Amino acid sequence: MSLLTIIGYEASTGELRETYDRMLQRPLPPAYRPPHGGPAGIIQAHSLDPVLIPKVFATSSTLNGAGPLSWPEREVVNAISSRLDQCFY
Amino acid sequence: MTEAPWQLVHPPALSDDELLHAVALSAYFGHLNRIADAVAVPLDYAVEHEPPHAEPSVPPLAIAPAPITTTARLSLAARPATAAQLAVWTAYALERDTPLLSRDRRARIVRRVERLVGTREAEELPCVDELDADLRALTDRVTLAPWQLDGATYAPLRARGFDDAAIFDACVVATTAGVVARIDVALAALARQVPLLSS
Repeated sequence: MSLLTIIGYEASTGELRETYDRMLQRPLPPAYRPPHGGPAGIIQAHSLDPVLIPKVFATSSTLNGAGPLSWPEREVVNAISSRLDQCFY
Repeated sequence: MTEAPWQLVHPPALSDDELLHAVALSAYFGHLNRIADAVAVPLDYAVEHEPPHAEPSVPPLAIAPAPITTTARLSLAARPATAAQLAVWTAYALERDTPLLSRDRRARIVRRVERLVGTREAEELPCVDELDADLRALTDRVTLAPWQLDGATYAPLRARGFDDAAIFDACVVATTAGVVARIDVALAALARQVPLLSS
């Protein structure tokens, strides 16, 4: 059970739905697409503020979608950051 | 970067550009980790190796022992796209008024994060009222022990009329400030190890 409201794709309307649709159209490696076919859970975790979502994930594109670190090296940084933050994500 | 950005050293195997990338990426992922915890979003990926569950008894991250006062040698400006997008994000999260979070309230959260992470200029500010104290408690938990976020953490703010969106907003102020502060502190810490050439 979530601590704060998460508005999933099916329940989304208006600006949030439009934002979700734009996020789904982003080019992403298949490994980053969750099996449910909707926006990734970490995007949905931001659903209470649709305006924030593109700002946060545009920043992500400049870091997770760019060098000089390679994709595997970026994943190492992300995974270790998550482990030290005690976070599964 | 995650545990003590003020102690960051330059790994010999990394170039300046690679190190800057790692610093920014780690700081950014700290935001995602904290939002995942703040909301308690479920894992929605099929994974080969199940991640360990968060252990609430893990103690909080340390508070920076002192502000870092060195001038950074590296700058996020060397990654102009990241710097530009982060500026758009921070302007939105930190520089607006909402009914429950004024710019001044947001600025006080930022100052607290800077104090915790070790940004220069950050001095301890006394709480101005009970809401300020509640926001500071939330900020401390989000910044230092996001794995301990739970319903009880939010209860004082709910009692003051904060709904889920307003609580999320307050968390975002702290996480966003954390991204900026960790980058600033880490880059300043790196500069301590490389003496600047005098002009």
